Amino acid sequence: MAVSIEKLVKQIQEGGPLSCRAAARLMTILTDEPQRLVELLAGSQHWPQPSLVLGVTGAPGSGKSTLVDHLAIDYRLRYPDKKIGIIAVDPSSPFTGGAILGDRVRMMRHSTDPNIFIRSLASRGHLGGLTLGVRGIVRVMGLLGCDVVFIETVGVGQSEVEIAKSADTVLIVLAPGQGDSVQLLKAGLMEAGDLFVVNKGDRPEALQLRQQLLMTLRTASLATSDHHWGHQDPANQSSELPNVYVCSAAHHEGIEAITSELQRLTEHKSSEWQTKRQAHALAEIRQAVFEEVQRRVEGIIGSNGTGEANLRTILDGSKSLKCFVDDLLQRSNTTSQANIGNTEFSVTAEDNGYLVKQ
Amino acid sequence: MGDNKPLQRTAVKTSQKHRILIAKPGLDGHDRGAKYVAHILRDAGFEVIYTGIRRTPEQIVDAAIQEDVQGIGLSLLSGAHNVLFQRVLELLRDQQAEDIVVFGGGTIPPSDIAKLKEIGVAEIFTPGTPAREIVETLHTLLDERAAVFA
Amino acid sequence: MDTLLNSNRIDAAHKCWNDGLLAKTLAKFPEQRQQFVTASGHPVERLYKPEEGSEGNYVEQLGFPGEYPFTRGVQPTMYRGRYWTMRQYAGFATAEESNQRYKYLLEQGTTGLSVAFDLPTQIGYDSDDPISAGEVGKVGVAIDSLADMEALFAGIPLDKVSTSMTINSTAAILLAMYIVVAEKQGVTPEKLNGTIQNDILKEYIARGTYRFPPGPSLRLTSDIFAYCTEHVPNWNTISISGYHIREAGSTAAQEIGFTLANAICYINTALKAGLKIDDFAPRLAFFFAAHSDLFEEVAKFRAARRLYASIMKNRFEATNPKSQMLRFHTQTGGVTLTAQQPDNNVVRVTLQALAAVLGGTQSLHTNSKDEALALPTEESVTVALRTQQVIAYESGVTNTIDPLAGSYFVEQLTDDIEREANEIILEIENRGGMVAAIEQGYVQDQIEQSAYRFGQSIDSGERTIVGVNKFVSKEPLAMNLFQVSDTIAQRQIESVRRVRAERDQARTTAALEALRQAAAGHDNLMPLILEAVRAYATVGEICSTLGALFGDYTESN
Repeated sequence: MAVSIEKLVKQIQEGGPLSCRAAARLMTILTDEPQRLVELLAGSQHWPQPSLVLGVTGAPGSGKSTLVDHLAIDYRLRYPDKKIGIIAVDPSSPFTGGAILGDRVRMMRHSTDPNIFIRSLASRGHLGGLTLGVRGIVRVMGLLGCDVVFIETVGVGQSEVEIAKSADTVLIVLAPGQGDSVQLLKAGLMEAGDLFVVNKGDRPEALQLRQQLLMTLRTASLATSDHHWGHQDPANQSSELPNVYVCSAAHHEGIEAITSELQRLTEHKSSEWQTKRQAHALAEIRQAVFEEVQRRVEGIIGSNGTGEANLRTILDGSKSLKCFVDDLLQRSNTTSQANIGNTEFSVTAEDNGYLVKQ
Repeated sequence: MGDNKPLQRTAVKTSQKHRILIAKPGLDGHDRGAKYVAHILRDAGFEVIYTGIRRTPEQIVDAAIQEDVQGIGLSLLSGAHNVLFQRVLELLRDQQAEDIVVFGGGTIPPSDIAKLKEIGVAEIFTPGTPAREIVETLHTLLDERAAVFA
Repeated sequence: MDTLLNSNRIDAAHKCWNDGLLAKTLAKFPEQRQQFVTASGHPVERLYKPEEGSEGNYVEQLGFPGEYPFTRGVQPTMYRGRYWTMRQYAGFATAEESNQRYKYLLEQGTTGLSVAFDLPTQIGYDSDDPISAGEVGKVGVAIDSLADMEALFAGIPLDKVSTSMTINSTAAILLAMYIVVAEKQGVTPEKLNGTIQNDILKEYIARGTYRFPPGPSLRLTSDIFAYCTEHVPNWNTISISGYHIREAGSTAAQEIGFTLANAICYINTALKAGLKIDDFAPRLAFFFAAHSDLFEEVAKFRAARRLYASIMKNRFEATNPKSQMLRFHTQTGGVTLTAQQPDNNVVRVTLQALAAVLGGTQSLHTNSKDEALALPTEESVTVALRTQQVIAYESGVTNTIDPLAGSYFVEQLTDDIEREANEIILEIENRGGMVAAIEQGYVQDQIEQSAYRFGQSIDSGERTIVGVNKFVSKEPLAMNLFQVSDTIAQRQIESVRRVRAERDQARTTAALEALRQAAAGHDNLMPLILEAVRAYATVGEICSTLGALFGDYTESN
């Protein structure tokens, strides 16, 4: 029996006490089988979506979770009716595939807040799947009614930066006393940043870090006009420099200014972000279409011996490439019905959890 | 979603992961055991969500639901296990989440272990339980869970 | 030992032995392991020889007992003069039950009381607070108001006993209650002897009973220092504790390094508050663990004394010898107790207690064999106390001072642990001091890693724990265990509600309001807490009054 994403979606849409569980279960499916995101996207055009999806990234120990924790506090104070989603990504162990996801520790105060949904995620070592999984969770959080979604990742690897980039806008956290903060900027994090926050602003070196950061950003902006980096991405063409904020998240100081800026961005950029999200969704669908076509074509060509024999007809000149493909596409039309029958999903332990038993 | 079926792929073997919440209910701050179990489960390939110390049963159950874990491990050394473990089980029932396997560890006398198992705690690991035994027992418990709820 | 010549002769003889007899023996009978290490993972050589010891600078490194650098002990006669204080940590259920246990322990020859409070009391919640569910009276006695404290010490003359209280975030409140109970007995504060743990930093690091953030917590610590210096001069105002750091999994050297780094932080705080080093430093006390690796533990205690003396003398320029002395209480290692074959724990406790005595402890708690399973029974507590008495009265190890001094091995280990601990202290300073290091999660991570390595060494069988991963027996446990009934909570809840109903509410409200106003300023809070306590304000009420201003701290690591 396949787990019906449709059924879970319905349970979430109906609301009620079990909608949380259905949402959590759906998130599991989307992270365990990221390719199924497209099932969720199909028909999702008119679902509620967050007005802001914020990527938060920075070096380990810069206080990302604490900042997200306090942004959430501030949002809840300002907009008591709005729901917030938080996605916290931690790396998996490359050796065992296991992970300890500890970001929740800093956010436990929100645990019983019905307006905050927190989901921890292990990177599981594959970039594409993770990015899809995160986008899936964002969709589900939208469906739950989350108006703001924070995606928190450790900005050490390219993969984490990629995930952050799939957000509407990216906030980069730095903290004084970390030699690697500036290193990170050099390593390409800066291009991903729309908003910079110097955390632990109560430390004496914080202002110095801010200066250093501003300088680096200015240099980079010169580089922009000289070398046109980012010219393919309209979002990066904006001439204004990213804002730099200083805060002390642990003491809840300087948080309001960041929230206000996020709110301002949300109002100004909403249509730009819609376009970006649409583009992401279409790219995912395109990717899924290609994969589906490839899968079916492979089915027709046949695998191993049969497949090789079929392809040999081109090698020995008995069939032209064009002719072969024409033939293939024609056959694909007539066999597609039969193939659909085989696309049922295999049953897995997780799929058969309580909710979908019914 | 019938119209979209052609887009679906034959399911690849999913990267099914065991997700476990390790939690410290009550006011006890001794987290050495909880953290060690989190580490050995990670080493065994589990994804472990750790809550930190001094959590209420309500916080723990809400976290477990949101994280869609298959099991909750409760560690407690203060002797409050009878009251707090039971509360966690009750809250899971309220949320229709009895399928989540609850296990525990800490300073728990044998007579209480029997009582806790009666009310639905799947296993209690007392101090000194070898890592391998914890991992194997959990695998068995989670497999049984999968079979029951299939 | 003198001359170079002597050392050369030893080297020559050593080479001869090494290449001859030893090589032959090893070829025939290899050793049990490739490498030998202490419980903390410190490598142990096959043999230690004179030139590796510290005879060369005996006076500077070891000196004489009661004199700088106190390596050999803090008193000139040590146990030849007086045994250590045998102080058994106890407390459970309600004040009445604990009072009975204290009287029993005093009859059995215990020489100091040590009060265990339950977790709600330690964190500052009343017994009827929903957050206290399940915890009331469990790991110690439940104290909600002065009424409970009066019952706890009923019939125990507070000018005759010394009382140690394991209390940290709420130390000021419990100390205030103790002072007021004494007053009611007609005992003035200057006659009081005892200790409050009052070590909040290690709560953030390892033990978890914090209530307020570090800043306001350290203010309370300083207020207690200042108040006691003036009014309770014989009170040990803090017991800076490595015990819980070790319990959380640190190595022996980390236990010393982190604990002394905490001490430095407290001292700096007090100095900043305007206190003079030699006014308060003599009242600083320490608390360490004793584990089973006998020589490592003895070396640890000796290293701690020497390192602390040098910090106090050189860094803080303390001139009073009492300020330079590291006086400490010891508890045998709770984590070393096994639930399997619990009788073996008696033997472990004996070894650990011996280590504490050979290391020159000032007071000692010996754990009971059943504590891996539950709170101890009266019977097992008695065996634990008897263990100390056998060491004191029968073993003869008390007849001379610092008997292991001059052991090549112990002196080398002492040097090594001192060096390693000092490096840890420097690392903490590089990170901006202890509060910063805690906020960065550095200390917690270091301990967690040590705990993980230790656990792995047991799980891999590399390290043997008798009855756990070797010499395992399958017999079921046959043992009577002590249990605190969950019905205690109901009794305690009724009692605190009665106190609230019967007290002079106007006085309580006024006292709490005065405390609130003072907390917003910079006055010493002790007098205001004393007044609140006299007005029967509860621990929970006082803490929520302070918490409204100070904020509640939550784990962020």
